Amino acid sequence: MPDFSLSPEHESLRDMARKFARTEMVPHAAECDRAARFPEEIYRKAHALGLMNLNVPAEWGGSGLSLFEQCLIVEELAYACGGMTTSIIANCLALEPILLGASPEQLKRYLPSFCAEYHLASFCLTEPGGGSDAGAIRTRARKDGDEYVLDGEKCFITNAPHASLYTVFATLDPQQRHRGISAFVVPRSAKGLTPGKDEEKMGHRASSTSTVRFEGVRVPAADRLGEEGEGFSLAMRTLDMTRTPIGALATGIAQAALDHAARYALKRETFGKPIAEHQAIQIKLANMAQAVHAARLLTWYAAWTIDGGQKGTLESSIAKCFASDAALHVADEAIQTFGGYGYMKEYPVEKLLRDAKLTQIYEGANEIQRTVIARELLRGYS
Amino acid sequence: MEIVVCLKPVPDAETRLRPRADGSRLDPEGVKFVLAGYDESAVEQALLLREAIAGSKVHAVSFGPPRWTEEVLRAAIALGCDTATAVESAGEEAGDPIAAAEGLLGAVEGMPHDLVLLGKQAGDDEEGLVPGALAEMLGMPHFGYVVDLHWDGAAQRLRFGRSAEAGQETWESPLPCVIGLQQAWNDPRTAKLPAILKSRRAPIAKVSPPAPSPERAASVPERFALPPPRTGAKMIAYRTPEEAAQQLVRILKEEAKVFP
Ligand SMILES: Cc1cc2nc3c(=O)[nH]c(=O)nc-3n(C[C@H](O)[C@H](O)[C@H](O)COP(=O)(O)OP(=O)(O)OC[C@H]3O[C@@H](n4cnc5c(N)ncnc54)[C@H](O)[C@@H]3O)c2cc1C
Repeated sequence: MPDFSLSPEHESLRDMARKFARTEMVPHAAECDRAARFPEEIYRKAHALGLMNLNVPAEWGGSGLSLFEQCLIVEELAYACGGMTTSIIANCLALEPILLGASPEQLKRYLPSFCAEYHLASFCLTEPGGGSDAGAIRTRARKDGDEYVLDGEKCFITNAPHASLYTVFATLDPQQRHRGISAFVVPRSAKGLTPGKDEEKMGHRASSTSTVRFEGVRVPAADRLGEEGEGFSLAMRTLDMTRTPIGALATGIAQAALDHAARYALKRETFGKPIAEHQAIQIKLANMAQAVHAARLLTWYAAWTIDGGQKGTLESSIAKCFASDAALHVADEAIQTFGGYGYMKEYPVEKLLRDAKLTQIYEGANEIQRTVIARELLRGYS
Repeated sequence: MEIVVCLKPVPDAETRLRPRADGSRLDPEGVKFVLAGYDESAVEQALLLREAIAGSKVHAVSFGPPRWTEEVLRAAIALGCDTATAVESAGEEAGDPIAAAEGLLGAVEGMPHDLVLLGKQAGDDEEGLVPGALAEMLGMPHFGYVVDLHWDGAAQRLRFGRSAEAGQETWESPLPCVIGLQQAWNDPRTAKLPAILKSRRAPIAKVSPPAPSPERAASVPERFALPPPRTGAKMIAYRTPEEAAQQLVRILKEEAKVFP
């Protein structure tokens, strides 16, 4: 029988993340959103407690969690603040290509020193010319003796202004599309690497996002991950691992929206009774609850599939796509439940809508997820 | 220094509490029991002393039904305690301070103990009887309301303060002794994620409590009830502070009848 109960171990992880989220993140979420402040002190605490490098095995200094365990934690953090969560889990995204493609020598060189202290890393794939079509990236890598020289620009890169390490995807030959791409590990100190200024964003305003310019950045061949031409596959395998936690992030936002809406509906009275007693509001809450449950279970299922050793491309795409659509819908309905107050910045629900929106876009826009789902699905019929 | 910290499992403040159907006491069904209140400070202080005195060890002990004590002891291990010992009770007597002290006594006597640390009172009933009772049974001096606890290695003495009504007393004591702690040097630390995972696999030693002494009847609560629900607050609509004050005076006079 499949078992949906959490082990005591899982419960203690979740409780710990919940406590951190509610005591450290919630009190600052509204302020950081309003001021677009990057709360480094909170990220430092998250690192100190082991909440940051969740996917890095303990032997390399991370927390060594299964994808399922990561999802439990990410949902709790996102319940408190989607933007802070994006910045806290960006290391998992940036380090995953290293976990997947680095040699034992590289693992030892990069990870223990990185994980031991508070450091941020950035995953640099998207370019101004396009994000969805990752095979078409233009950032060039030219071989020069024992080194590569990188030139180009990345955009929308999470944590880039604050990162000390960048995993960068660049092409040796744009004509070869996917097969021309290689992955590199580049330190912040590399000459010619310049993060841009913080973008002004609709949501996730506690997170930091910017361009990264590469102008003649020299990277030793020893800092290439995998073989030449293996970069695209590393990027896709990375996203196969990190898509599911985005489903958990969206679930956390959706759960927060539902909780706010249900509590408000019990308190707010119109026509002589709490609005929770009007059937129209009950139906709204019932539909929101269905969406939240389904989002969580699809996320758990994708994590369980991948933890069991399967690739889980279909399952993780379904989870990410469904949960992010659910988050936007539930946040929207939460605002509707609040009426005019929901539209006011003084109340917490409009932030949830702005934060939910991003989950439909990053780590593979939902249109691309649907393309992937259809492709995987139709394979079973042909 | 061998430090024993005694920890009481108390209901998680975030769980919804309700009385048992017969109204006799708290219904433990579905309630999470956690490390809380002054006991958290006791663990923190024990760990700080261990860090300050080379070769020290911290032993966590808890009395209660296994389901309750396990969570508390695992939390203590995740925070850094070296060993964990559960004194298993059936649950009925877990709230009786003398039964708790007797239960803890057997465990403490069975392990090295230079210093026995407890929270000055439990996070739930706040009776504060166990530290004194345990000290009496161990034949050791007891100090309650302790703050600023330090070990003076040269003099081989503990130095500490006791918070009193009008200030702070300064004390010293040789070991062994029993301390009911009011406050550690700093806020209790939070367990790190890998330590929480490891604590799940840590061994917990089990000790049976002694048979209750025949000359003493355990205290049993007669009735357990939740406080009556609070009646609704009244919001005053006003434009100026003067108007708010006028309305308040009117309500206090005419509705609440606080003064004529
Ligand atoms: C706040 C934020 C943080 C981010 N962090 C990072 C990061 O850390 N690292 C990183 O590399 N990237 C990051 N991104 C980039 C993100 O992954 C991309 O924005 C995303 O992949 C979409 O790419 P694009 O913006 O270029 O849109 P485009 O690719 O230009 O797409 C535009 C629209 O067309 C649709 N579309 C495109 N192709 C197809 C198709 N074949 N069929 C149907 N519809 C299609 C898309 O779904 C979308 O709706 C971040 C983005 C944001 C907003």
